[in-house]
Amino acid sequence: MQAKGFDPRTKLALGMLGIAAVLVTEDTRFLVGELCIILPGLFFLKRTRAMHAVRLILPLVTIVFVIGVISFSVETAVALALRLFDLLALSILFFQAMDPTELGDSFRKMGFPYEFSFILTTSLRYVPLIGKRLRMIIDAQRSRGVDLRPRLRNVPRFTALLIPLLVQAFILAEQLAMAMESRGFARAGRSFRREYRISFREYILIASALCIVAVFFAWEKGWIK
Amino acid sequence: MISLSSIHYRYSRASAPWVLQGINLTIREGDYILICGKSGSGKSTFGYLLNGLIPHFFEGTLEGTVSICGQDTRNLTVAGLLSSVGLVFQNADAQLFNSTVESEIAFGLESLGLDPTEIDAKIEKTADDLALAPLLDRSPMSLSGGEKRLVAIASVLCLDPPVIVLDEPFGHLDPEGAQMVREVLRDLHRRGTTLVAIEQRMSGVLEDVSRCVVLDRGKILFDGLPAGAGAILDKQHLVPHYLQKKTARAKPGSPILRMEHVGHTVEDNAILKDVSLVVMEGEILAIVGKNGAGKTTLIKHFNGLLRSKKGVVLYRGKNIRGTAPSEMAASVGISFQNPNDQFFKSTVRDEIMVGMRPDSKGAKEWMDELYSLFDLHELLDLSPYRLSEGQKKRVAIASVLVAKPEMLVLDEPTVGQDGHFLETLAGLLVSLRERGLTIVIVTHDLEFAKAIADRLIVVHEGKVAGEATPGTAAGDALLASMRLSGAESPASPQGTAGHAG
Repeated sequence: MQAKGFDPRTKLALGMLGIAAVLVTEDTRFLVGELCIILPGLFFLKRTRAMHAVRLILPLVTIVFVIGVISFSVETAVALALRLFDLLALSILFFQAMDPTELGDSFRKMGFPYEFSFILTTSLRYVPLIGKRLRMIIDAQRSRGVDLRPRLRNVPRFTALLIPLLVQAFILAEQLAMAMESRGFARAGRSFRREYRISFREYILIASALCIVAVFFAWEKGWIK
Repeated sequence: MISLSSIHYRYSRASAPWVLQGINLTIREGDYILICGKSGSGKSTFGYLLNGLIPHFFEGTLEGTVSICGQDTRNLTVAGLLSSVGLVFQNADAQLFNSTVESEIAFGLESLGLDPTEIDAKIEKTADDLALAPLLDRSPMSLSGGEKRLVAIASVLCLDPPVIVLDEPFGHLDPEGAQMVREVLRDLHRRGTTLVAIEQRMSGVLEDVSRCVVLDRGKILFDGLPAGAGAILDKQHLVPHYLQKKTARAKPGSPILRMEHVGHTVEDNAILKDVSLVVMEGEILAIVGKNGAGKTTLIKHFNGLLRSKKGVVLYRGKNIRGTAPSEMAASVGISFQNPNDQFFKSTVRDEIMVGMRPDSKGAKEWMDELYSLFDLHELLDLSPYRLSEGQKKRVAIASVLVAKPEMLVLDEPTVGQDGHFLETLAGLLVSLRERGLTIVIVTHDLEFAKAIADRLIVVHEGKVAGEATPGTAAGDALLASMRLSGAESPASPQGTAGHAG
């Protein structure tokens, strides 16, 4: 997944196959094995990023584990938590390796209309910006005495975050529409600078990955011994 | 090249006031025109007219004709005007919507349907012209304000439009960023591009332009050489003049807030490095520095929005570690840069009441006093979102003061404001100090800081680089060494320092 210069469709295919592999795995030992492949990949990226990602995943995984222990058994809980961890870590790895534009481009190459892939990439790109704005709104409100600590009695106060955020999102959307219009988004006859071709090497890679997952699936099901 | 004849425009079809009323203007090839006016004078609307967003994007009533290269814009489309007029927007975050600088520049070229090799050649040329080559692979969001502005310019410049219109190109930039953009524009002008820059406050750019147009309430008040504009710019408060209300400089009081060894790190980047400083009771302290120097991060430690692991913040000698920011609001009120970050009530009155502490005695009287002081009586029943930028700022500051803090902290209060408001604000801050309030302003607007502060602290790359009293030789030398203070000339009292939107 790290390889630069891969066609985004290759990355997309490999990512999907990875997710499929995790989903079909039933044996807990293999879930651990998959984790051992994914985790180094994650840490191969920026170390702080990986830590951040793990911190993001852990609470959710813990909740699932606790629920699993209470409602089923420890074994099921371990399997559930591991599978969830694998899936989330894999998705994070996927989005690290694939920039939103590439994701959009691969959709476009697969025949989706340009508008669709553009909306997809742009909305992904503005997520961090909206997050930053939310941070600023929280700071501004707390600094004038609005108590936003997570307590039941503070719940009604969350309109103090929601309304400024919505208004800003609308303003941003209008400005963005203006900027796009001014740069010819609506103009017919758009050309695309980046052209992609899936190389022979990549076809081989996808095919082998597909075979591995298929064999693994068959073996898990007990069709082959 | 562009001519506007008897233009009237209003945003909705009926009953709205006319934003532009009878504009007649001819823009000639090679002009570098500065369009200026107070907030609400119709400047941005004017910009939208020039690239066809009016009448094609905005609904509304347009009377008169805008003709570009002999063609009426009514008969063209915005996309059709792509290679004639480039518009650089005020908000760079909205204008830059691609994931890398390179694809940002490519976007317009792709819209034109050029073939990839031609696009690559044009990207390379544009990047060379604006010295952007090192940034091509970066995400526009990771750039500094000045760099973002250059990329925004590049994204329209690559289409080789004969005319480029810039809406507040210097807004939100610190002096260094503004200088960077200013040089690029000067260079473009020299090479024959027609430029129209729209600004609400004067700055050094007045020296660069070939023509100056002053708008007021939708009408042209002045159109001529920049040298002849001096009197009218003063009269319109487009160049702020701060009254020297240095009545009784703050007596050195006791320390009200003390910060010791505060550091802050985000993803291995040290934003603040071991900062120690003291705020004295009853003073106006200005914390100055470039954008990105760590000023805002610094003041977020004043009320515990951020907490330093090693350092301590003492308010009146007491560590604030255990106090929530919302409780600190009764002692230290911080008003951040963008008033839109806090408005959520339907009237100004409710908005201001949000921070009121019902238990504090004299709350009602204090509120009435605030209404008078900030001149809010007429605005109380309006929606905060309908106000002008200056009015919004007044409401935002009043809504922080309603909790009766002893210390008021303002983050970049001058950004996006016109000269008239700055004069008002300077007066307000001085009268608040006379009431015993301690005031800290964080700004890159040196003129403003010098005019009202009792003491300056310079922050540079996350450290306190020095402190000084404004007006002294030592202070000037310190500021000059930070490259905050540009060469000032008598023609532009603000020099290159501290212009914003």
